Amino acid sequence: MRRLLPTALAITGALALAGCGGSGGSGGDRPELSVSASYMPQPITGEMAAGFFTLTNKGDVKDELTSVTSDAAGSVTMHETVGQSMREVTSLDVPAHGQLVFKSGGNHLMFEKLKGKPKQGEKVAVELHFAKSDPVTVEMPVKSATYNPATGH
Amino acid sequence: MRKKTFAAAALLAAASLTLTACGSGDSGDSPVAVVSEDTARKAATVLDQPFEKPDLVLTDTHGRKYDFRKETAGKPTLIYFGYTHCPDVCPTTMSNLAVAKKQLPKAEQDELRVVFVTTDPARDTPAELGKWLKGIDPAFVGLTGDFSTVQAGARTLGISIEPTHKDKKTGKTVSVHGTQVIAFSPKTNAGYVLYGEDASVDDYTKDLPKIVKGQNP
Repeated sequence: MRRLLPTALAITGALALAGCGGSGGSGGDRPELSVSASYMPQPITGEMAAGFFTLTNKGDVKDELTSVTSDAAGSVTMHETVGQSMREVTSLDVPAHGQLVFKSGGNHLMFEKLKGKPKQGEKVAVELHFAKSDPVTVEMPVKSATYNPATGH
Repeated sequence: MRKKTFAAAALLAAASLTLTACGSGDSGDSPVAVVSEDTARKAATVLDQPFEKPDLVLTDTHGRKYDFRKETAGKPTLIYFGYTHCPDVCPTTMSNLAVAKKQLPKAEQDELRVVFVTTDPARDTPAELGKWLKGIDPAFVGLTGDFSTVQAGARTLGISIEPTHKDKKTGKTVSVHGTQVIAFSPKTNAGYVLYGEDASVDDYTKDLPKIVKGQNP
């Protein structure tokens, strides 16, 4: 029985590392990304729209969202909100076993020069590009201009 | 056997520690708890010390002079400082107000003044503002003019704004808008209720019938 205790502790130690220490490096592992809760509020004009989603990384390694493209827009840029100021960023981390959340009042995508004005019920195809993972295509549903994900309407 | 139990307990404890550690690193979890608590809170903050109306004399979407104090005297009034090249909070806030306003009786809709003041007058000309507001509610008033006038007016309401500018380090555009909507009473003309960016259509729909009468929501 004496041996069991140190062994059990060693195992928990390893579990803890695997759970949180993405950068602690069990090398060779890859990020495992998935996208959820994506939407675009119906924009006021075709010149400017926002997009939101949640990126979840179940892998042991962090990734970085490095760019976003869409055939529906002349340009798509990523912005973060700090206090009341919005600034464009060139990449955002998707932490190992963590999430990168885009939501109103926080990180957001900014679509400019849209080809036509997206309307509620339509979908906008968006491609997410990463430092490590392959690109991911998201069919972003267009919701009402006042859509609130917390209430779902 | 005792030691085995202890080992199992240690494992459990370690596992829960691990969970806690991950939870705090994960931007999803702890804020969610706060938000669910927040649903019980009211969107409106009734101010102990109401604001005086800012002395804003600017240009409206028709290119005409608009004296905010004079034009909105005795009218229920909502003011917001934003800009049209704003993908997120500005259009959402204005759309929330537009949808909530439509649920008032017609006579009260006509009384209500909703005023959008641009924080980016270099790009938001009267024509640009007019085009944008037409997509939200053509009755909304859009004001543009000298940035320093807008900034000074916003400051008297506790709202700090900066001109849209390039970040010195990254060369990327930085924009600043207000997140607050301030409601002025038709009875006292004082700015007595404050809303943050979290205020939803439902919040405004519930509160506007009181605000048009100058009552506390």
